[in-house]
Amino acid sequence: MSAVVHAHPQSGPVLGVTGKPNRALSDAGLRGRWWRFALILAITAVVLVPIMVTVVLAVTPGPTSTATGFTLENFGSVFSETLASTWLQNSLITTLSTVTVAVAVAAPAGYVLSRGRSKAVSGYSLLLFVMQSLPIITSVVPLFILFAGMGLVDNLMGLTIIYVGSTMTVATWMMAAYFDSIPISLEEASWIDGCSVFGSFTKVVLRNSLPGVLSTAIFAFLLAWNDYLVAIVFLRSTEIFTLPMGVQSFFQQNQTDWTSVMALAVVMMLPPIIVFAALNKYFSVGGIGGSLAGR
Amino acid sequence: MTIKSSVTSTAFSRRGFLGFAAAAASAPLLAACGGGSASQSGGGSGVIKFWDMPWATPAYNDAAKKIAEGYAPASGNLKASYQTIQWNNFYQTFSSAIASKTGPAVSTGGGFQAFQFAQQGQIAYADKVVDDLKKNGMYDDFLPGVLDPFKSDKGYVAVPWQLDMRVFWYRKSLFEKAGVALPTDWPTLLEAGKALKKVGAFGFTTGSGAGNNYGNHSMIMMMVNNGGGVFTKDGELDVMNDRNVEAIEFILELVSNGIVDPAAVSYTTDNMSAQWKDKKAGFGLFQVNVPQRVGDTSGDLLVADPITGPHGDKATIVFPNNIMMYTNTPSQASSEAFLVAYLGQLKELWRQKLMSALPVFKSITELPEFASDPNNVKIVNDWQPIAKTFASQGNTLNANLAVLDGGQALNQFTQTILTGKTDAKSALQTFQSGLQSVLKK
Amino acid sequence: MALTTAQTGLSRARRGVAPGGSGKPANRKSKLSSQTRKTFFWLLLPSVVLLVLIHGYPLVYAGVQATHDGSLLDTGEFVGLENFANVLSSEAFWKAARFTLLFTIVGVFGSWLLGLGLALLLRTKIPAGGLFKVLLLLPWVVPVVVSSTAWNWLVGTPDSLIPSIFRNLGLGTPLFLADPTLAAITVMVFKVWISFPFMMMMTSAALASVDTTVYEAASMDGASRWQQFSQLTLPLIARSTYISWILMTIFCVNDFPTIYLLTGGGPVDATTSLVVLAYRTVFQDFQTGPGVAIAFLMTITLVVVSVILYRQIRKSSVE
Repeated sequence: MSAVVHAHPQSGPVLGVTGKPNRALSDAGLRGRWWRFALILAITAVVLVPIMVTVVLAVTPGPTSTATGFTLENFGSVFSETLASTWLQNSLITTLSTVTVAVAVAAPAGYVLSRGRSKAVSGYSLLLFVMQSLPIITSVVPLFILFAGMGLVDNLMGLTIIYVGSTMTVATWMMAAYFDSIPISLEEASWIDGCSVFGSFTKVVLRNSLPGVLSTAIFAFLLAWNDYLVAIVFLRSTEIFTLPMGVQSFFQQNQTDWTSVMALAVVMMLPPIIVFAALNKYFSVGGIGGSLAGR
Repeated sequence: MTIKSSVTSTAFSRRGFLGFAAAAASAPLLAACGGGSASQSGGGSGVIKFWDMPWATPAYNDAAKKIAEGYAPASGNLKASYQTIQWNNFYQTFSSAIASKTGPAVSTGGGFQAFQFAQQGQIAYADKVVDDLKKNGMYDDFLPGVLDPFKSDKGYVAVPWQLDMRVFWYRKSLFEKAGVALPTDWPTLLEAGKALKKVGAFGFTTGSGAGNNYGNHSMIMMMVNNGGGVFTKDGELDVMNDRNVEAIEFILELVSNGIVDPAAVSYTTDNMSAQWKDKKAGFGLFQVNVPQRVGDTSGDLLVADPITGPHGDKATIVFPNNIMMYTNTPSQASSEAFLVAYLGQLKELWRQKLMSALPVFKSITELPEFASDPNNVKIVNDWQPIAKTFASQGNTLNANLAVLDGGQALNQFTQTILTGKTDAKSALQTFQSGLQSVLKK
Repeated sequence: MALTTAQTGLSRARRGVAPGGSGKPANRKSKLSSQTRKTFFWLLLPSVVLLVLIHGYPLVYAGVQATHDGSLLDTGEFVGLENFANVLSSEAFWKAARFTLLFTIVGVFGSWLLGLGLALLLRTKIPAGGLFKVLLLLPWVVPVVVSSTAWNWLVGTPDSLIPSIFRNLGLGTPLFLADPTLAAITVMVFKVWISFPFMMMMTSAALASVDTTVYEAASMDGASRWQQFSQLTLPLIARSTYISWILMTIFCVNDFPTIYLLTGGGPVDATTSLVVLAYRTVFQDFQTGPGVAIAFLMTITLVVVSVILYRQIRKSSVE
C-alpha cells in the first residue's frame, strides 16, 4: 500500500463526538458545540492571564505620563528612546537567515536520513540527538573562543551560524520524518525518467514537502527569535543587539518603568504571533507533529 | 533495499567525522594554553578598549561614553573606545573575551573580578597609575581607606572609582504611624520591628530571590556589625565564631517575630523596590539613592543612623567598585594614561546625578550637586567611615571573595535563615563546609 | 475485526514508507549505489560540518574541562575522573537530579495531557476554533524573559494578584515562590504553561494525519468513544507522541531560563535543576571542572533516556 494518506490527511472527528461527519448536527451536537466553546474559552482565558498582564501594562500610562486610561505612548517612547527599531531589524535578519539556512542544511540531510536506511545513517541520526544534548550554557564559552578566532563575535553572522547549528539537529529529524511520508514511488518514477538523485530530491520530494519545510522553519524561527543565552555572550554593541538582548538590557536599566519594558515585550511578541496566525492553516494540515507522525 | 546497501558500504561519513573530531579536539587545548596570535591583541586597531557596566540608567552609560571617547591622549598615546557590557552572565562574557584575546584593555566589572583575573595572570598591575595619582594630587583626595583593599603582594590589582554602600534606610511616615523611635541598637531594632508589624510594615526589609544579593549582604552586614565576619584578619575562613552565631540568632529572632517578610526569600530586587515604594518596608538595608531607585522622592525615605551591636561594634559593608587594566593591551602606557585621565573626569558623573553609589574622592562629595542631598551627606559622614569590605576583619580583598559574594554557599545560607527553619549553629556549619569546598587555598 | 484490519492497514502504511520497497532490478541497484553515495555525501556534508563545529567541538572541549582542575581561562591539571567522583558523592547533585527528574516528568506529561486534551477539543467543530488555536500558542511564543517577569508580577509577593485572590477566597496567603514546595510546584506549572502549546501543536498535526475512515468502521463495529480513543487514536499517533516526549524531555532537562529567571533555583535549592546547578557551579562558584562534569553526567543520562524512547519509536512503527 502507499502512504499517500499521510501526505494528504483528512479531517474528521477523533473521539467520534460529532458522530458521523456528514450528518446534520442534532440539537445535542449543537449544545455540545457550545459547551466545548465555553470550555475552551475558559481555558484560554486562564492561560492568557500572564500575557494579558504584559499587554495591559504596556498600554498603561507610564510614571511620568499625563495620559489616563489607555495609551500607546509607551510604544512611541520605546521606539524613540531606545534602539528598538534597530533591534527589531537585527532580530528579523538573524532569524530569517537562520530559518533559511537551517532548512537548506536540514532538508538534504533529512533526505539522506530518510532514504538511506543503513546502520551508518541511523547512527548519524542518533548522533544528532546525542550531540545536541549538552546544555548550551557549557557550549557558549568554547564556541566564543572558536568564533573569536574567526572574527565572528559581536557579529550577527556568527550568531546566525550558532543558531543554525543548534536548530539543525532537531530540524534534520523533522525533515527526515516528513520525507518518510512521501512515497518513494514518486522518486522511482522520476529516476526512470532520467532524473538524478539530487534532481529528484529537489524537483519531486522537496516540492511536495511544504508542510514539513514550514514546520521546520517555525521551529528554527522560535529558537532564533527567543534566544538570549547565546546572544548575551556573543553580542556587545547595543546597535547589533537582537530584541531579547535589548529587552534584557532595557529590563535591567529601567526597573521602575514597567510600562515601557512591557511595551517593548509586546513588540517582541508580535512577529511570532503574526507568523503563527498566517501559517495557522498549514499546521492543521500536518505541521510538526503531522510530519513526525507520518514517519 | 537499493539505497540502503549503497550507504552501508560507505564509511565516508564516519571517517570524515573522526577527522573533524580530531581536528577539533586539538583546538581547545591550544586555545586554553593561551596560544592566541598577537594580531588579536586587546586594542585591535590601536585603541584602548574600555568596557563598562550598566551601573545606572542608560543616561549614565551615555555620559561615561562621552568621557571615554572625548579623552584626548597626549602624543604617542592611544585613544579609547567605550563599550557597555550587560550584567547578565558578565563573568562568562569577560572570561570568553579574555580567553580569545578579544577582551578589553581597561574595564569596570564585578567587585572582585580584578582579583580573579589577577590570579590567572590577566591583570596589569596599577602601581604606575597610583604613582601618577600621587603626583597629580588625586591620591590625597581619596576618602580614607578606599585604596588599601586593592594592594596585593604583587601590587595594586585595580583602582577604586565608586563605593557601593550598604546602609539602613527607613520610611519616616511608617515610624510615625507606628509611634516608635528609630532603632539605635539591636534590642531597639527588634522593638521597632514589632511596632512596624502592627501597622502592616516590615522592620528588616531584604530579599534573596533570583539574582538578588541584598539578602546575602544583610547576613554579612549583621555579622560585621557585631564584630564578626567570614574571614579573620589573616584571611582565614572563620564562620563559626561566637559573634556570627549571635548575629544569626538575632536575625532568626527577627524572622520568627515576622519582622522579616516571609516571602523575602524569593524577592528579586524589583520586588524589594516595590516593597519600599508601596510602604510595606519600614526599615532595611539597601544601597545609595534609594528614593530615586524605587521612585519615591517625596522625602519620606531617609538614611537611618548606624546601629550599635551588643558588644559596642558599629559597622556596615561596602563594595569598592574598581577599574582594572589587562595585560592584553596594545600599549600599557596608553592604558595607564587613559585610566588616570578617566579618574580625573569622574566628577562629571556625580555632577549630573547619574550615580547610585558614593564617589571615592572627597572633592566629589563636596560638589553641591552631591552634597545638596542630606541622605548622601549622612552616608558620607556616618556610614563610610565604619564601612568594611567583604573581607570583614581583614584589610585586603582577594579572589575568594568573588566565590563568597556570588556563590551558592552564601545564597543557600541566606535563604535557609530567611525561611527560619533552622538554628544558627547548624546553618553556619553548613555554610562553612560549603565555602570550604569551593575556596582555593 | 474491522478495527484490527484498519490498524494493520495503517501500521503497514506507517512503516510502508520505508524506502526501497520490494525487489528492483539488480543492475539498476548498483548503478544507483555509486551515484547515490556521492549525492548523499554532498547532501549530508553541511550538516556534518555544523554538527562538528557547533556541537562536537564544545563537547570535546567540555570533556577536557570535566577531566581537568582548571578555570575558564586555563586548562589546569588533568585529574582524571576525580570531578565526576566528587560530583556523584555530593548531596547537592542528587537533590538537583531528583528535582530534574520530577520537573521533567511533570513537564513532559503535564504539557502532553493538556496539549492532547486541547488538541482533541480543537479537533471538533468549535466557533472561532482557529482563533483559539493561535491564542493558545502564545505561551510558547512569548519570550521567557518576558513571561517570567509577568509570572513574578502575578505570584511574587503576598500582595500580588494571585495570592490576593486566594486571600479573598479565605484560603490564606500562599507564598508561591518563597515556600520550597510551592516554589517547586510553581516552576513546574510555569514550565507546563510554556510547553503545552508545543504538545498541542504536535498532537493536532498528528491527529490531522489520521485517516478518518477507520473511525467510521470502528463506530459501525460498536466501539465506544473511550475504546476508539484508547485503541485507535492513541496507537495511531503513538509515533508522534514518542517523538514529542523525547523532544520535551530534552527541552525540560536542558531548560535553564525558565527556572533561573523565576526562582534562581531557590528557595534553598528547592528548584535547583542539574543545569542550574551546573551553571551556578561554573559561573558563581568558579568550579569549572565539577560544573562541567555535572553537565556531562546530565547529558549522558539524557542520551540514555533518548535512546530508550528512540527504540520505542522504532518498535511502534514495526508493530
